[in-house]
Amino acid sequence: MNQETSFDVSKGFAYGLRQSLTVAIGYAPVAVTFGILATQLGLTFWEAGLMSFFVFAGAAQFIAIGMLHQGATVWMIGLTTLIVNIRHVLMSLAIVPFFPARTLPWSLGLAHGLTDETFVLNTRVLKDVVQEENRRQVMLGINLGAFISWFVFTILGSLIGKWLPIQFSGFQFALLALFIILTSTSLTKKNALTYLLAALLALVFKLLIPGKIYLILSVALAAGIGAWWRQRAQAPRTER
Amino acid sequence: MSSQFLETILLMTLATYGARVLPFLLFKGNNVQGFVRDFIELVPIALLAALVIPELVTPQGSIVIIHNPYLWAGVLTFIFARYVPNLFLGIIFGMILFWGLNRLML
Repeated sequence: MNQETSFDVSKGFAYGLRQSLTVAIGYAPVAVTFGILATQLGLTFWEAGLMSFFVFAGAAQFIAIGMLHQGATVWMIGLTTLIVNIRHVLMSLAIVPFFPARTLPWSLGLAHGLTDETFVLNTRVLKDVVQEENRRQVMLGINLGAFISWFVFTILGSLIGKWLPIQFSGFQFALLALFIILTSTSLTKKNALTYLLAALLALVFKLLIPGKIYLILSVALAAGIGAWWRQRAQAPRTER
Repeated sequence: MSSQFLETILLMTLATYGARVLPFLLFKGNNVQGFVRDFIELVPIALLAALVIPELVTPQGSIVIIHNPYLWAGVLTFIFARYVPNLFLGIIFGMILFWGLNRLML
């Protein structure tokens, strides 16, 4: 780490692009899976590519193609996307202090490439880059490398899904498998109660209320109760 | 490409890009704290529960436990992912397992 800081002048776009390689490689299989699934669920290759280009958010895109297939309304998908991606506000808030003198074009550009994975990589890399101008270039490289991988491999996946129409019932389970794997890596003792509460509420609401509204209701209630509980648990300490 | 699809992309982009860009445009120095922060932090895990559990337990609209390939493939995929933290391998594992269980239980 120490020897790298002396080369700080040379830390720019190309350095960021090199750093993005780990994320880019990690995105490839997920994006290919997305492309295959999207075409299996009836999207064209252009539609899948367009979604990856503009939205650039893994879980939300998987959920959206599932909901589109089930005939959900546009507003329902938009609202669900908001719920899934509201967490980006927190990541963006944590990244912004690296750029106190940011200009509007840089703000607009750098924001688009902020995902869970580029966020983690950026926070790790940017704290070792001294000049703000260099940090912009490095973040641009990191974001762009990840973005290109996500977009190109989505296209590749949709071509595979389109030209090799595979009849395989396992695809019905791909989306759930993805969410289950995400659960296994993000479930902790601190959020397990919220998870159980959301699961129970979603199950009950789904059986009682037609449509997809059960998703938003159960998530808002469970996260709300979980956050309220955390605040209550912290209250005696903060009062002193 | 249907206009419904374009509207979907537009709304999804507004929601996602909005969440990413607003702090860049409005942030003045204070980080969000307290209830709002905890709430936003808990949304992803709550959403995963709401997306997965009802689909596993009620694949055809009512609760099924024994003859339910979704449920058993889901439980085993979860255990697999605990030991093999690789997204791609996990998805492949889950799909093949589901396919096998689906054929066995039909």
